[in-house]
Formats: sequence, C-alpha cells, structure tokens
Amino acid sequence: MTSDPVIRLRDVSKSYGTGAARTPVLRGVSLDVLSGELVALIGQSGSGKSTLLNIIGGLDQADEGEVEVLRKDYRRAGEREKARLRNSSIGFVFQAFNLLDHLTCLGNVTLPAAFAPGARDVEKRGREALRRVGLADYAHRKPSELSGGQKQRVAIARALFGQPKLLLCDEPTGNLDSETGREVIEFFRELNEKEKVTLLIVTHERRVSSVARRVIAMRDGAIAETSDEDHPEIPR
Amino acid sequence: MMPLGSLVRMVFANTLRSPRHFALSVFGIVMGIASFVFFLSLSLGVRDVILGKIFPIQQVQVVAPRMSMFGKDMSKKLDDKIVETIRKQSSVAEALPRMHLVFPASGSGNFEGQEVKFEVGGFGDGIDPTFLADDPKLAELFKDWDKEEPNRTACVPPRIQAQLDAQQELQQMLQQAQQAAAPGAPGQGAAPAPQSPPAPPAPRKKYKNPCPHPERYYCDETDRTCHHRVPVIVSPTLLELYNGQFASSHGLPVIGELEQFIVQRGGLGRMRFEIGLGDTMVAGSNTEIAPSKRRNVEGMLIGISPKAMPIGMTMPIGYIERWNREFVGGDAASTYSSIIVTLRDKDELAPFSQWLQDDLDLRLEDSLGERFATAIFIVTTLFVLISFVIVGISAINIAHNFFMQVSERRREIGVLRAVGAGRLDVRLIILGEAALIGLFGGVVGILLARGAGAFVDWASVHYLPRFPFKPDTYFVFHPWILLGGLLFSTVFCVLGGFLPARKASLLEPAQALAQN
Repeated sequence: MTSDPVIRLRDVSKSYGTGAARTPVLRGVSLDVLSGELVALIGQSGSGKSTLLNIIGGLDQADEGEVEVLRKDYRRAGEREKARLRNSSIGFVFQAFNLLDHLTCLGNVTLPAAFAPGARDVEKRGREALRRVGLADYAHRKPSELSGGQKQRVAIARALFGQPKLLLCDEPTGNLDSETGREVIEFFRELNEKEKVTLLIVTHERRVSSVARRVIAMRDGAIAETSDEDHPEIPR
Repeated sequence: MMPLGSLVRMVFANTLRSPRHFALSVFGIVMGIASFVFFLSLSLGVRDVILGKIFPIQQVQVVAPRMSMFGKDMSKKLDDKIVETIRKQSSVAEALPRMHLVFPASGSGNFEGQEVKFEVGGFGDGIDPTFLADDPKLAELFKDWDKEEPNRTACVPPRIQAQLDAQQELQQMLQQAQQAAAPGAPGQGAAPAPQSPPAPPAPRKKYKNPCPHPERYYCDETDRTCHHRVPVIVSPTLLELYNGQFASSHGLPVIGELEQFIVQRGGLGRMRFEIGLGDTMVAGSNTEIAPSKRRNVEGMLIGISPKAMPIGMTMPIGYIERWNREFVGGDAASTYSSIIVTLRDKDELAPFSQWLQDDLDLRLEDSLGERFATAIFIVTTLFVLISFVIVGISAINIAHNFFMQVSERRREIGVLRAVGAGRLDVRLIILGEAALIGLFGGVVGILLARGAGAFVDWASVHYLPRFPFKPDTYFVFHPWILLGGLLFSTVFCVLGGFLPARKASLLEPAQALAQN
C-alpha cells in the first residue's frame, strides 16, 4: 500500500432543498483514502453515505469544502474533466445494477468506450472483463436473461472495463442473496489485494466490513467512527 | 465530445429498441414532408406548363392604350421613334416591334388530303427575325427572303402556263377548223367522208412548279419570278388547340413533334399553303379590296415557337410591312401593334412599367401569364404553409415524445454520465435520435410524394381524356425540393428535440440514478 491519497475530502457539506425545507445531508466531512485501500462506509439509511460516494464520483456536487479525487480538484475541474475522470479512472457499481436493458452484456460492459476517444480493442477488452467475472459465455445475452447475481457481475465487469484506479460501490450486495453477495465481496477483496485497486464500498452489511481494512461509520451526515488500525494519522 | 462512430451506433441502437415510439414520431413527419414535396413539385410542374407553354412570360409587350372617338381609332401610334426611345432605357436589353396584318387575307391548302381554308387577316402578324435567334433551326428559315434575295429567277407560274397552253390548244383547234372549212379543201363539195371515230381526249397535263428547289420556292403570279415561300411559325397554343379539339373533331392526326411530323409528311414542301392577300372568308367584311388588287403568295409552316402569336400565324415583319403598305398605305406600314421588350432584370418590371405610363403614355399588355403566376404563387405558398404546419405539429409531437422519454430514461442518462458521458454527449445523443427520425421521415416522405406523383401521372395518362396542354407529368421533382424536404424534416425534428435534449443534459447524474 502506498501513501498517495486517492480521495481527499475536507469539510465537505451538502444540503438538499431550500429555505425552511433545507435538509443538511453532509456536515463537514473530512476524509482521506489512500491508494490501494479497501474502505467500507457504513451507516443507517439517510446517514449521507451514498451522497458522499456520489460527490467523490463527481456524480453530485458538494455545497462547501474541498474534494480532490485522483489529484483532481473538483472545485476547479469542469463537468467535462470530471466526466473524463469517471470514464478513465473511476468505476461504479450500484445496488440496482443499472444495466441498459436494450444492450447485450458485452454492450453494457463496453459502454464506457463509447465516450473514450481513441478506445482500442474494445470488444476484446469487454470479453476479457466478462471472463474475469465468470460470464465469458454471456456476451450476447440481454440483462433480462440474467439472474440478479449475474447482472451485478456484468455491472462489475463494466466498472472494471476501463481498468479504474478507484472503484466506488454503492450497496453492491443489497439486491443479492447471501451466497452471491459473499462471492461479490470475495471478488472485491481479490481485486484489491491482487490489483491494488482502491475500493470504497458503501454498505450496511457486516460481512462487507469484515474484509475492509478500514470501516468508516457515518451518522447524521458526519463521520461518527473509524476503525483503522493501520493508519491512525488519517483524519477521522 | 464522444467519437462520431460511437454516437451514430448509440443513436441507432436507442432508436431501434422502441419501434413503436419511432413509428409514432415518424408518422407525422412523413405526412408533412410528403405533402411539402408533393405540393411544391406539383406547383412547379403546373407552373412549368402554364407559364412555359400556355402563357410564356419571357418578355413583356408594350401596347398603346385603346382610344377611339366617333368610331375612329385614336390610339397612340407605336412607331420606330418609340421603339428607339424604349431601346435607350438602361433597363431594356432589347425592344423588337410586332406588326399585325391589317387587311383581309385568307389561306388555303391541302392538309392530309383535305382542302383546308382559314382566315389570315387579323390572325397574322410579323416579328423581327432576330427575335428567333435563340432557335438556330428556325432562325435559318425565318427570314425576309424577298429582301434577302432581290435577284430572282424568271418563271411562268403553272396556272399561267396552263392558261397559255389552253389558249394555244384552242388556237390550234380553231386553225384546224378554219382549214377544214376553207374552199378547195379536201372533201369540199363532195360527199361527206365517212365519219371516223372521235379521238380520245388528251390526258390532262400536270403543271409542275418551274422553280429550282420547288420544296422551298414558288413561281409568283404577279412578277413571274421565283420567290422563297413566306416562312410561317405558329405557337404551341395553336398546336395544342389543334391536337386537343380540332384533330379529333375532323378526324385528323394528332401532331406530336412538329419537326418529326414535317419529315414524315415529306419535308417542308408539304407544309405549303396559299395566302390570298386582299381576299377574305368572312362574309360581310367592310374592308373592300378591289379584286384587281388581290394577289396570291405562298407560305410554308416551318415550326413552332412560343414567340408566335397565340392564335394565328407569325412571319418576318418585312413581309407584313410591305403588304400593309401595298394594301392599306404607308401609315399602316409604320405602325406597330406592340413592342416586345426584354428587360435586363425581372425586378426592373415595375419601374419600367411606371416609366412607360409617365413618359410615353403607354402600358404593358395585361399578361394572363403574370396573373396565373401570381395565382400559382399564392396556391404554392398556401400548400407549403400547410406542410409547414403539419411538420411543425409533428415537431411539437416529437418534442413531447422526447420530454416523456427523457423522464422515462433518467436512470439510463445517469448511467451514461456515470461511465463518462459529458453533458454535450447526452445532448448529442438525444438530438441525434431526433435527427434520425427527421432523416428517416424525410426519406420516406419524399418516396411517398414521388409515389403519389407517379400514381397521379399514371392515372392522368390512363383515365383522363386528352385536353390542350395535357402534360406527361404534373410534377417537377427538383433536386433542391428533395434536399429541402430532407433538410426541413431534419431541422424541425432537431428543433423538436432541442429542449428535451437540454433538459436531459442538465440532469444531475446522482439525481438521475436515484430514480428507481
């Protein structure tokens, strides 16, 4: 593990609504995630963990505070730069899989290539990503023909297609049975250990947090607790 | 921006996944573009027939306003001086006079084995041969031959020759009779000789045209020299009236291409007819020409030109001038019926007309063609406006459909943003889908319009009876109409997709993905 911060947050705040209906979701969150870490973000529904994940992924904007991901300062980066960063270096895995039903598995996996000028060996790389998740024979199947676990594996293959440095997973096992969920968690662990991909997994499942090096608990939009034996210097 | 190939692939994939939505969006566009192309092409086709064949408006005609007092024509005289004044105008490219035949004349000839007679006085005029310079075939024959060929070969006209021969024969017979009756002649005072059977009548002698090149020259009875036949042109209007009504009612053949018809009938020599100057077919004509003054000339039909008078025949102006001088007087030979003016620019028409009225007290002849042109323009504009409304409504329908789609596809848009699509990419995808609807609708609309046009033409050929100026096709599918239709549909669809595309591109990815 190196000491390069892949994610650097300082006093990040976020609210939804305006006036009297304004609801704070994040309250001054500061956090560093180093390269090669596997971090679990846990907390109850409404604690702000998904919002934090979206802000880190550039899918949402912080109202206040500093957000720096893969050395890209989000305050200075435009929409196009953030889109390029997501395309080249960040992978997303969602609870609802978010596959496009009209595309085949291969089409879904290679979707990021559509927005990458000069992308090469797209099909070959797509098939390789499917092979890694054990779905080499499902390239031309539509998502509607797959089970929940298979869909999530296709979603993981899509996230891995661009060989990301950072994988952001939002409740990746939430819609899976326990056995399939275990397989997915194991896959993430291997990915982190063998390929040193940095993972930030939002979850409320204990089994996920069991494989994480660091577990960050959120409550009411703030980091309530961090269990990190290896890195006491990381802000809490 | 995403690569163009990826954009095209994605647009096609997105469009093909929902054929029902695509068909609903395309239907209105197809109808709109089909009506746009159909009506515009129909208007152009009808305009071509009306303004190109029935009422050609290549030039304007200057005439003097009609004025009369106590039954006497007091209209302003159009003479060479006025022609020169008009020619000096900077807006005028050319001004050529036109002169009517102002005394009675009749025509007669053999057409398809039938004797045909017609009136020429009032139905004949003359134009400057240079007016036909743009038609080399006609220009070669349409000349004032009498002026160009002053040294003519002497000849004896066949009718005079026949009279001379008849006189000679009569003299011979008289001589024979006198000899037979003279005293001392054989048989005189003796018993009459037995009667010999009467000699059979000598075969009637056929008198041929004595002139060289008889297909073009005839022997004039007045000066007994060989003249080139007077070249005559007629208008397409006359030909159409003949084909449409006269031919069928008189059992005569329909003339397609006149040039071909002339060749089939044995050349120009067969197109000749006689013009009786001073003669008339109209009973009760008040214009009396002394019978001694009357004389015949020969004319020949050389072709068709829209520059000929619509109902009648047109010949080189030199002939008309000489005949008018001979039969009516010098004044008639120097007064033109109208002046054909070619303007340098059509936009100069209004100021030129005003100048004519203010400075020369003349006016432009009321052109039915202009009135038809205006009517066609109004009808075309109306049809095009209707097409615009149809396509406009379709574009609104497309906008509505896309707004609904953007709402339905929020999650998909969120996914695209998550995997690296920028706002511009999302906008381009939606606009591309709208453009594809426009292109497809445009192509189908054009094909539908062409199919409908072909059906109308087919039905016209097979089910409509022949009428004057019946065209082979009622449509002119100009490439610019087809391209315009395609562009029109695409632009309207893209406009329809603009706001939904903007809305889609402004969606925050996190909010879009939050949709379940």
